[in-house]
Amino acid sequence: MATAPRLHGPTSSLSTSWCHCWGCSAPCCSSGSPVTAPGCCRALSGAWPSSRPSCGTGLGGGGPKTGGGPETGGAPLPTIYVVTPTYARPVQKAELVRLSQTLLHVRALHWVVVEDAPAPTALVGGLLAASGVPFTHLHAPTPPEIRRRPGDPPWLRPRGVEQRNRALQWLRDMRPPGEAAVVYFADDDNTYSLRLFEEMRSTRGVSVWPVGLVGGLRFERPLVAGGRVVGFHTAWKPERPFPLDMAGFAVALPLLRARPAARFDPAAERGYLESSLLGGLVTPAQLEPKADNCTQVLVWHTRTEKPKLRQEEQLQRQGRGSDPRIEV
Amino acid sequence: MDDGGDSRRDLAAGLDSKEYCLSDRDIVEVVRTEYVYTRPPPWSDTLPTIHVITPTYSRPVQKAELTRLANTLLHVPNLHWILVEDSQRRTPLITRLLRDTGLNYTHLNVETPRNYKLRGDMRDPRIPRGTMQRNLALRWLRETFNRNNSQPGIVYFADDDNTYSLELFEEMRSTRKVSVWPVAFVGGLRYESPKVNAAGKVYGWKTVFDPHRPFAIDMAGFAVNLRLILQRSQAYFKLRGVKGGYQESSLLRELVTLNDLEPKAANCTKILVWHTRTEKPVLVNEGKKGFTDPNVEI
Repeated sequence: MATAPRLHGPTSSLSTSWCHCWGCSAPCCSSGSPVTAPGCCRALSGAWPSSRPSCGTGLGGGGPKTGGGPETGGAPLPTIYVVTPTYARPVQKAELVRLSQTLLHVRALHWVVVEDAPAPTALVGGLLAASGVPFTHLHAPTPPEIRRRPGDPPWLRPRGVEQRNRALQWLRDMRPPGEAAVVYFADDDNTYSLRLFEEMRSTRGVSVWPVGLVGGLRFERPLVAGGRVVGFHTAWKPERPFPLDMAGFAVALPLLRARPAARFDPAAERGYLESSLLGGLVTPAQLEPKADNCTQVLVWHTRTEKPKLRQEEQLQRQGRGSDPRIEV
Repeated sequence: MDDGGDSRRDLAAGLDSKEYCLSDRDIVEVVRTEYVYTRPPPWSDTLPTIHVITPTYSRPVQKAELTRLANTLLHVPNLHWILVEDSQRRTPLITRLLRDTGLNYTHLNVETPRNYKLRGDMRDPRIPRGTMQRNLALRWLRETFNRNNSQPGIVYFADDDNTYSLELFEEMRSTRKVSVWPVAFVGGLRYESPKVNAAGKVYGWKTVFDPHRPFAIDMAGFAVNLRLILQRSQAYFKLRGVKGGYQESSLLRELVTLNDLEPKAANCTKILVWHTRTEKPVLVNEGKKGFTDPNVEI
């Protein structure tokens, strides 16, 4: 039986759990058998197999693979690219840690974290490396004139636009053409069930499902009849072309590549951000309903309270603030 | 840009890949992929069990909170989740949720008496929330485990809206009596922490709010060895007459002295748990009659 408990998923350091051969990120095979999974370039025994597949082979339609698991019999699953914009504030690390704990359960998942910052930070970089989740760490600063100021109400300007668009650029530029994959925009404060990721994996164009605790409702959802989306059950701005929350849809990567101009519009009116992307990709009738014809809530638009730091601020004014080297 | 832990990945296109891969610095640890996706991890014969006690109550975010907490707990080996509902009966929502997680769990319930003199539905404000539920879990442990039976265990009180690193659970596993560590976002500070001296002993509390409490520590900042819970079988959280911030002391003073506390998290210099709180969602568009189908569970 296993003795040593594991921390943070597969290993405590991400760089040791992924094969670095030729730019792929497939995990190397387990259990001492010679290389079997496409994309693997080093066998457990340490000997290079005589015909080493380069990570380029089998990548047509592949990409970062976690294929070769005993259950799948070697057939690669479409990768889910989870795009998370994030920005520095006291709860940032907590949010990303608990989100990483959910994502760590999902096979064939690659986390694209995009900081709203002029450079990648050590806090996020360290967290990602320790998380055990395969990741790409990007950054894209929001232009100052658009950036929200502390005290601005949350509905003032759409957030995360430049960051999500940066991720789209990375996906289009850096992933191999023809890769079967799905892109999901997951904000760092929402709550995701594990089942949601399996529902979205079969997305061919744009798939949709209900979202809990959003739009002033218990949930918003697409209305489905005969297996097709025929409308939307929502109370807030229902006239929008796609009255959906960011957490309520996923897009197949090939579709994003086929429509290279599709992106989020930074000038979109409040609530129209999702439509600004989706309008360039599909019509509402083409949406693929998931979650049992959109009758199950598998994701919730939770929001985290801003912590009260009055005593901290008081101490800082006296020059006795907490040790800033201790990361929170 | 940092990719998957190795920025050299981006140089790969154009490099001789064989040369690149043969470098010793690319030696990788092999991952047993099937272990990554086993939920929860296989039970170990040698690890002490961590009994996580979570009081919970029905409100719109409840299912979301418990879902993400369960996703965290599913990574922890030898974990036993004791979920205690503040309700008259165990609800179908929680029953289904627990079953679907695959976790090792015990499902309890006890209803905090309501104070009908206030607005009909209010709980008795003299009893801090979660107290009766935590006490019920302590009673269950004492009725279930024999103090002479040496099944090693650790007891931890984990509220359903906090955030827990996986490292925290491994730190608490070696608790001999009561172990302690810092907690973020409590007491109006970035974090509160025990004060630890050069000898590795706790001698005070780094807090602004009433640092002279016997145990100036948040519920999420300590764990207790199960043996101690079973030995001091009358130690419970005080139900009434407890000043704000003294709940934890009301239990700990019956279990341990300051001197016996074991500091964890690198002598209390690392933050491994955050006292996050979730905003109450504004369901303004539901209206009086309800807009959404009440049969759809959230």
